[in-house]
Amino acid sequence: MLLLSVPRTADGMQWTQPLIQGGWMAWTFPVALFFYGIGTILVVFSVLAIRFPEVPRRGVLGMETTRGDRLFLTLLGSAFINLTWLYFFGAPLTGALIICLFYAAMVFRWV
Amino acid sequence: MAKVQNNRAWLLVLPVLALVAFSAVIPLMTVVNYAFNDTFGNNQFFWNGLGWFEEMVRSERLHAALGRQMVFTGTILAIEVPLGIFVALNMPKKGFWASLCLVLMALPLLIPFNVVGTIWQIFCRIDIGLLGRAMTALGVDYNYTNDPLDAWVTLIIMDVWHWTSLVALLCYAGLQSIPNAYYQAARIDQASRWDIFRYIELPKMSGVLLIAVLLRFIDSFMIYTEPFVVTGGGPGNSTTFLSIDLVKMAIGQFDLGPAAAFSLMYFLVILLISWVFYTVMVARDAGETR
Repeated sequence: MLLLSVPRTADGMQWTQPLIQGGWMAWTFPVALFFYGIGTILVVFSVLAIRFPEVPRRGVLGMETTRGDRLFLTLLGSAFINLTWLYFFGAPLTGALIICLFYAAMVFRWV
Repeated sequence: MAKVQNNRAWLLVLPVLALVAFSAVIPLMTVVNYAFNDTFGNNQFFWNGLGWFEEMVRSERLHAALGRQMVFTGTILAIEVPLGIFVALNMPKKGFWASLCLVLMALPLLIPFNVVGTIWQIFCRIDIGLLGRAMTALGVDYNYTNDPLDAWVTLIIMDVWHWTSLVALLCYAGLQSIPNAYYQAARIDQASRWDIFRYIELPKMSGVLLIAVLLRFIDSFMIYTEPFVVTGGGPGNSTTFLSIDLVKMAIGQFDLGPAAAFSLMYFLVILLISWVFYTVMVARDAGETR
């Protein structure tokens, strides 16, 4: 659905052109993808929380966290990792996103 | 008998959800959109990718505003929290004077922010203000409109005047909830005044104290109205705190893209610190009930 609405010209896909020409706020594909991602994660974790109820556990931070807490820590931490990357290396954020994946794995494993 | 759960009740929260989406979630999403685009208004946007974030995260101007903000927040917390505790400890415990103190302490909290700013703006003016005139008459070189240090001192005193009561009132409520038996036991053990404070009053107050610190932190971290009215961020940029700088950027210069990136980073910092406070509070409560 989202992919289909990306504007196309003779030069191929125009990733950063507004999805709806002249529509309100000129939403573009990357921004939409970002929100789809966040939304999907939230829905998936809600479903997981219903199917497999969350059990708090104590990790390296010495405090009890549930799966939702760890997700929050992952997202918030990732934002700061990306900003730090921008400060030192600038765009693109490929490296930062790889670090974020490791960071997420660590948070879910040990926190 | 097992309780029947009717999950259709969740549908009743839909109106609230729609309202929150319209008034908070979608506006926040538009801020994200602004941060990735350049615009001159008129609903015309030009994709700018991560440009604004890169510019803002390295911006000297933003670093300076963040530094000023930290110093300001740190200073007023360092003054207001001990002062509030001290005031609360010395307030009368009951009777007419206790009521009178409570009313007097609550007064500054009832004054609108811009009025507080105006009061101090006039009070400190060297041409007509009582404080400004008195300082000049005493031979003190005081002028908050062109001396950065004077401007800072004025803002800090104003904030202390406005908000110490909040800390004091919260601590007072915490103190009132300590049963007399604790004090009697302390007297039997011949505990000193400091020991009573350290081992009875402070632990019993720590819950409300944490809330007081959190409230004062958040309020002072987003302070806008009072410095805007008193100094307008000046002299120069010496009292331009984060929110003042943000508004200058977004509305003064109409740099919506950089301002959006700026406000998202501002939001992340607040979110992080609020989370830390929240976690500490929850952990504390869990520790208490165990």
